[in-house]
Amino acid sequence: MSAAEKPAYPQPVLNRKAGGRLLTDTRYWPTELWKSPWSLPRYRAGALWLAGIIIGLLAIGAGVGELARWGEKLLALLNRSGLPPAAVAWAWVLIKLGCVIGVIVANGLWAVWWERKISAHIQSRVGPMYAGGFHGWAQTLLDTVKLLLKEDVTPAAADQVMHTLAPVVAIAPCVMAFAPVLFGTELAAAKLDVGVLYIFAFAGISVIGVVMAGWASGNKYSLLGGLRAAAQIVSYELPRGFSVVPVLMFAGSLDLAVIDAAQAGYWFGFLPRWFVFYPVVGQLAFLFFLIASVAETNRTPFDIPEAESELVAGFHTEFSGMKWSLFFLMEYGYVLLSSFLLAVFFLGGGAAPLPWLVGIPSWIWMTGKAMLMMFVFLWFRWTFPRLRVDQLMDFNWKFLLPWSFANIAFAGILLFLMQRGWGLR
Amino acid sequence: MKPDPVARLLAALPRAESAASPVKDYPTLRLAAPADILAAARILKDELGFAYLEMVTAVDWLGPVSLAGFVSSANPSPFTKKAPPPPVAPAAGAGIAYRPVLDMLWSFGNLQTGQKVFLRLEVPRDNAEVPSLTSLFAAADWQEREAFDLLGVRFSGHPNLTKILTPDFLKGHPLRKDYAHEKDAYDED
Amino acid sequence: MKTEEPLVSGPGLEMDTMFVNLGPQHPSTHGVLRLGLTLAGEVITKAFPDIGYLHRGTEKLMETRSYHQCVVLTDRWDYCSAMPNNLAFCLAAEKLMAVQAPPRAQALRVITCELNRIASHLIFLGTYGIDIGAFTPFLYAFREREMILDLYEALCGARLTYNYIRLGGVASDVDADWTAKCREFLEFFKPRLDEYDTLLSFNPIFLARTKGIGVIPKETAAAWGLSGPNLRGSGAAYDVRKSEPYCGYETYDFDVPLGETGSCWDRYFCRVQEMRQSVRIVEAALAALPGGDLMAKGIAKLPKPPAGEAYAHVEASRGDLGIFLVSDGGTAPYRLHVRAPCFINLAILQDILVGKKVADVIAVLGSFDIVLGEVDR
Repeated sequence: MSAAEKPAYPQPVLNRKAGGRLLTDTRYWPTELWKSPWSLPRYRAGALWLAGIIIGLLAIGAGVGELARWGEKLLALLNRSGLPPAAVAWAWVLIKLGCVIGVIVANGLWAVWWERKISAHIQSRVGPMYAGGFHGWAQTLLDTVKLLLKEDVTPAAADQVMHTLAPVVAIAPCVMAFAPVLFGTELAAAKLDVGVLYIFAFAGISVIGVVMAGWASGNKYSLLGGLRAAAQIVSYELPRGFSVVPVLMFAGSLDLAVIDAAQAGYWFGFLPRWFVFYPVVGQLAFLFFLIASVAETNRTPFDIPEAESELVAGFHTEFSGMKWSLFFLMEYGYVLLSSFLLAVFFLGGGAAPLPWLVGIPSWIWMTGKAMLMMFVFLWFRWTFPRLRVDQLMDFNWKFLLPWSFANIAFAGILLFLMQRGWGLR
Repeated sequence: MKPDPVARLLAALPRAESAASPVKDYPTLRLAAPADILAAARILKDELGFAYLEMVTAVDWLGPVSLAGFVSSANPSPFTKKAPPPPVAPAAGAGIAYRPVLDMLWSFGNLQTGQKVFLRLEVPRDNAEVPSLTSLFAAADWQEREAFDLLGVRFSGHPNLTKILTPDFLKGHPLRKDYAHEKDAYDED
Repeated sequence: MKTEEPLVSGPGLEMDTMFVNLGPQHPSTHGVLRLGLTLAGEVITKAFPDIGYLHRGTEKLMETRSYHQCVVLTDRWDYCSAMPNNLAFCLAAEKLMAVQAPPRAQALRVITCELNRIASHLIFLGTYGIDIGAFTPFLYAFREREMILDLYEALCGARLTYNYIRLGGVASDVDADWTAKCREFLEFFKPRLDEYDTLLSFNPIFLARTKGIGVIPKETAAAWGLSGPNLRGSGAAYDVRKSEPYCGYETYDFDVPLGETGSCWDRYFCRVQEMRQSVRIVEAALAALPGGDLMAKGIAKLPKPPAGEAYAHVEASRGDLGIFLVSDGGTAPYRLHVRAPCFINLAILQDILVGKKVADVIAVLGSFDIVLGEVDR
């Protein structure tokens, strides 16, 4: 049927009396759409847009990232301003804190939109399309406004003080854990010798907020969720920590900047010396750390504490409005943290994947790798079913932990060989 | 070889008889006394392989349904006048002997042969009581509770004979023909 | 599985149980089912399902409505697959009236019922995925279900409560467009079934969550009166379409898929395979669609079937749906009883949940594929 013949509105085929959207209009049938999607102009335009967005984002990122260089100039300006040194130090810390919180909040906005888009496309939907005009870019922004305006309900059965405190206790360590995180080579809010330890230490504190939330809600589902969260997060801390030990052995330091620098250079002139490419040990450590990180951030297939089909929403069942969104900010903050850590520990941090790409700024690589890892997190979430709570613990204690120990031994052997010059240098 | 349940049951229960008006297309047996049902069920289950209790229900033969307490209009609308009450219950056909009995019905199935047999038993409406089959068929549990809730048949020996479908505050047994609905907090107008 | 014994005991250290109320408002109870669970830790020591929140008394309502009006009420039992409900009632009433639907109507009844079985099993597949934590298959399943609903909409104007199968036949006819679209859907749908297998059926986590969980042996399943895929998942080959064929099912070539152990996964996979068989049946029925009338002759506007009792049952999407119909010669059924498969399937829950973990409750409950509209009627 040509365009001229095709009626402007759907025509009923059968049972005309009954009305309704009927079969002549099968634009919505996937059989019509899937025959040759590239023949549709909309599809081609969409692909072009996507390519454009990626290039554009990288370009914008390049511009913004270069602002970081001005940090030193700003510090120098503060020093010359005549303020007492203590005030300058405090001001500088506050500026950096603002930057980190900005990263976390912006990440929340971005990650939620991205997750919606990714989940939609995994599920053969399109996701948000209207808010803001272009592919629903303003959706999470407006959701934030909605959340801010929402009534903050504290259930009558809840412990008022604890209920209010819980989201704060949960999100504060998340912000603090970001201090030594490298956003590019040498680009971090604080330079710490024991950065890795510091991050793991602070990331572990959030679970107290989660347990508080579960307990203070006065709801059995919340309580179960909180208890599950405590058990799960504390258990998975162990393999998570141990899986990084090979990295620390190779780099010889707990300082993220040193770990980053240790991965510079190429084998045979093209294979990056990233830890993930260290034979066997690197891949195992990467896998263990990835799995443990997914579990640490309570995401599918390990989202037992908030398993919506069993525990309604787990520990945040009784939270609403901004308190609830603080929990989500925390979750996405930890996803971002884990993504950056994966990038630094295993994917060479700010190092370029190929020698002739060295000219591109380090933090583009860093952010790009982190975003890749974040995509993996989201991808997991929308493809896997959920494990049962005892299976989760079995997996941790009977598989992940012993093998991460074994991996440390493998790393020792590999290190020994490399020092003898038997392996790749 | 398909077993013949009717012949076997008639042999075991001399007072039982083939129903005069059977359930169409199915062998139907009318029992004489409540005590017979347990014996019949045991024979069916253990000897003839009818290990599948399909249905437990009853028919109240009191007469046409009482319309007392029915909501006057099924779809109340503020724009129309108050609708007239629903038409009077359908007239009885010829040859129906209305009587104050509950006509119990059990249906057993044989999963291997696909056969089915219906057992019927008349009990008086007041103090209707029959033995429970829960000791033989787990499936009797909820179906007997349903019959108790909606029709008011008491099943002696049932471990948990409580209401199942209607709310706790509802009085009476809705599927009895003389059931009259009392207005409660959840009724409109 | 037994509850762990506490290592330390003494005054003040007694193990206490917790009562958890699952539903009637809960994401995984598939409607307004309330499940009272007594937990020792995460292990269930007692479970009682509480139903009746959706009880509308359709059996009583039918006693005051004409037979044609009753068909409308049947749609509301199992609203996820309303065609077999229509069919069961119509078969029972036709038995009383001693009429039979013409061949074309019978073929259309088979086509619509089997399409409805696919649609209903797709809902099960999607929601069971969600129960286990996999969200994505749900939208895939609904994409395909949407096409079936489009077909229904073109056929009878309704997408959920069809009132398509009427006393003595069916309401409207199909034309070449419709059959072409139906074939197009079937061709599209067949490879999708393989897709579900890769997405969900053989996912290792899904297998770990469902295989060996909620095992019901064949005898137990029969004793509790389970029917449909829940019974066949336990290995009992009982299908009304085979044992007492209606609407010409004996002329179609199809298999009855059986499970092996009766675990949640067997019940799940039984349904997935049933969809394949339904596709076969619809294809065969479309290929051999006879011509002729849609309605039997002599169906009055206000039918008054002769006094008598009839029982008709069909293999509905969720099991053996039986209608026991009593007529006293009046315009309305004197008494109607529904053998609702969901209601009877649900009863076993109180028995098999004991000793399971809370997370397994959802896996077991979901595997029964209940629709509360039919449980409560």
